[in-house]
Amino acid sequence: MRFFTTLLLHTSRDLLLTWKSQLMTVFTVMLSVLIFSFFYLTYVNALHVGTEMGNDLRLVVYLDEDPPPPLQDEYRRRILKFDQVERIKFVNSQEAYQRFSKQLGSDSDVLSGVPDDFLPPSIEVYPLRSLDSLARIKRFSDYLETLPGVQKVLYGKEWIDHFHAFIQLMRIVIILSGFLLIMTSTFMVAYTIQLSLFSRVQKLELLRLVGATTNYIRMPFLIEGALLGLFGSTTGIAALYLLHRWIKLQFSGPTLFNLVPFTFLSWPTITGIVTAATLLCALGSFRATRPILHL
Amino acid sequence: MNQELPPPPVIELIKVSKFYPPDVEALSDISFAIDKGEIVYLTGMSGAGKTTLIRLISRMEKESQGMLDVAGFDLSKLNHRTIHLLRRKIGVAYQDFKLLPNRTVADNIAISMEVVYQKTSVIEARVRNLLEQLNLSKKYDTLTAELSSGEQQRVSIARAAANHPEILLADEPTGNLDAENTARVMSLFYQLNRQGCTLLIATHDKSLFRGHNRRVMELRGGRLLTTGHLFPGTQP
Ligand SMILES: Nc1ncnc2c1ncn2[C@@H]1O[C@H](COP(=O)(O)OP(=O)(O)O)[C@@H](O)[C@H]1O
Ligand SMILES: [Mg+2]
Repeated sequence: MRFFTTLLLHTSRDLLLTWKSQLMTVFTVMLSVLIFSFFYLTYVNALHVGTEMGNDLRLVVYLDEDPPPPLQDEYRRRILKFDQVERIKFVNSQEAYQRFSKQLGSDSDVLSGVPDDFLPPSIEVYPLRSLDSLARIKRFSDYLETLPGVQKVLYGKEWIDHFHAFIQLMRIVIILSGFLLIMTSTFMVAYTIQLSLFSRVQKLELLRLVGATTNYIRMPFLIEGALLGLFGSTTGIAALYLLHRWIKLQFSGPTLFNLVPFTFLSWPTITGIVTAATLLCALGSFRATRPILHL
Repeated sequence: MNQELPPPPVIELIKVSKFYPPDVEALSDISFAIDKGEIVYLTGMSGAGKTTLIRLISRMEKESQGMLDVAGFDLSKLNHRTIHLLRRKIGVAYQDFKLLPNRTVADNIAISMEVVYQKTSVIEARVRNLLEQLNLSKKYDTLTAELSSGEQQRVSIARAAANHPEILLADEPTGNLDAENTARVMSLFYQLNRQGCTLLIATHDKSLFRGHNRRVMELRGGRLLTTGHLFPGTQP
C-alpha cells in the first residue's frame, strides 16, 4: 500500500515535468488509434452489408442429367468436402419445369407442347452466411465446375467479386494501420520516456546511490508509458465514436443505413484495442528505460 | 579452537589501485581494514585521492586493481540488480552534495528513506529530528537551490544519516561550515557512532581530529602513508 502511494506520488510529480511531450504522445497515440479503429469499424460494417446481401445467395449447378440417389449422395459428399454449406437442394427437370411455369403464371400456356424435361436438372447450393464463405465463392464455383456431369455453375451476382476485392483491400489497410499503431505507440512512447529520463537523470542517479532497486526506478516509467497508452487510446476511441455519430447524422434519411445498420465497435473490441495500446506503450517505455539502469 | 574469531572488518581493501586514462594514478596499492564501530579520519592534501577512495568504497566507480569488501559484500560481485543491497547499508555525504535543486530540503532527505519504503510518519519525524540537530529546522520546505553552500552541505549529511546506515562515508563534511555548525555535525557523527555506525570521514582539515584520540589515515599522491595509528594528541 505504502509502495503504491509513494509510486503514484512520484509518477504524477514526474509527469508534470515533461507535460508537453507527454501531450504530444497522447495525441499521436490517439490519432493512430483513431485511424486504426476507423478502418476496423468500416470493415466490420462492410461485413454486415456483405452478410446481409448474401442472404439470398446460392450457387446453381446445372447438370447433364438427373442424378440417381447414389450419385446425389456422391455429389453431396464432394460439395461438403470443399466447404460447409447451409443447404443443398436437388432440382430435377420436372421440378424446374413446374417452378418455371409457376413463375410464368397466366402466361404458362406458352409452355404447352414443350416436353417437361426440357430444362436441365440442377443442384442448388446455399453457402453459409459468413464472410469467409462469401470470399471463397469464386473458388467454390470453380471447384463445382470440375465435378463430373456438371454443365455450368451460376452464382449470378457480379457484386460478390467486387465485394470480395473490397474486403481484401480493407484487410490490407487494417494490417497497415495496425502496424502504424504499433510503431507509433512503441516508438513515440519510447521517445517521450527518453525525454523524461533525461529530464530526471539527476534524480535517477541519486535514487541509484541511495539504494533504490531496479524496479523502484523503472516502475514509474512503466506506469507513465501505460498511462500514455491508456489516455491516447480512450480518447482515440472517443473521437471515433463522435465521428460515427456524425456520419450517422449526415446520412440519416432513406439511405443505405436504413437497410443495413451502421453499428459501432463492440465492447470486447474496444477493450481489446485499449488494452493492446496500453500494453504496447508500456512495452515501449520498458525498452527505453533499459539502458539507464546500467548506470 | 575455542578461541572466538574476531568479527570481520566492515571495510577491507587489499592492494587497491585506481587509474584514470591516460595516466593518472589516483590511488595505488591501498590496503587497510576498518572494524565495526570505528571512527576513522582520512586526511591528505587536495588531490591526494580521498574522494576517489570514497567513490570506490561506495561502488560509484570500479577499482582498476585489488579487492574491496564492504559491509559483507565483495564489491566485484555486485551488479545492477544487487547494488542496492550495498547502498542501503552505507550513507554517503558527497563532496558535491548531489542534492536535487528543485526539491525541498525535506524531500531531499526523505529520498533515502523512501526507497526502502519507510512509513511517511517515520520519515517525517526523522527528517525533523535531523534538521533540528543540524540547525536547519526553518528550512524544511525550502528548495535546496535557495540554500547557502553550508546549508546544502548539512542537508547532504542529513540525507546520509537518515536511514541509520551501518557505514557512513563523509567527504569533506565540514568544508563549508563555521565552527558552530561543524560542532553540530561532529556531534551527530558521534551520536551515530554510539548507535553502532562505522564512520570514515575524509577531510583536509586536521583541526577536526587534532586533540582527539582518533585513528587517522593519511593519503599522499594516491598512496597511503599510514594505515591508521591513533593520532597523538597535540598541544593546543
Ligand atoms: N574522473 C577523473 N578523471 C581523471 N582524473 C581524476 C578523476 N577523478 C579524480 N581524478 C584525479 O585523481 C586524483 C585524486 O583526486 P580526488 O580523489 O578527487 O582527490 P581529493 O578528494 O583528495 O582532493 C587527482 O589528481 C584528480 O585530478
Ligand atoms: Mg575530494
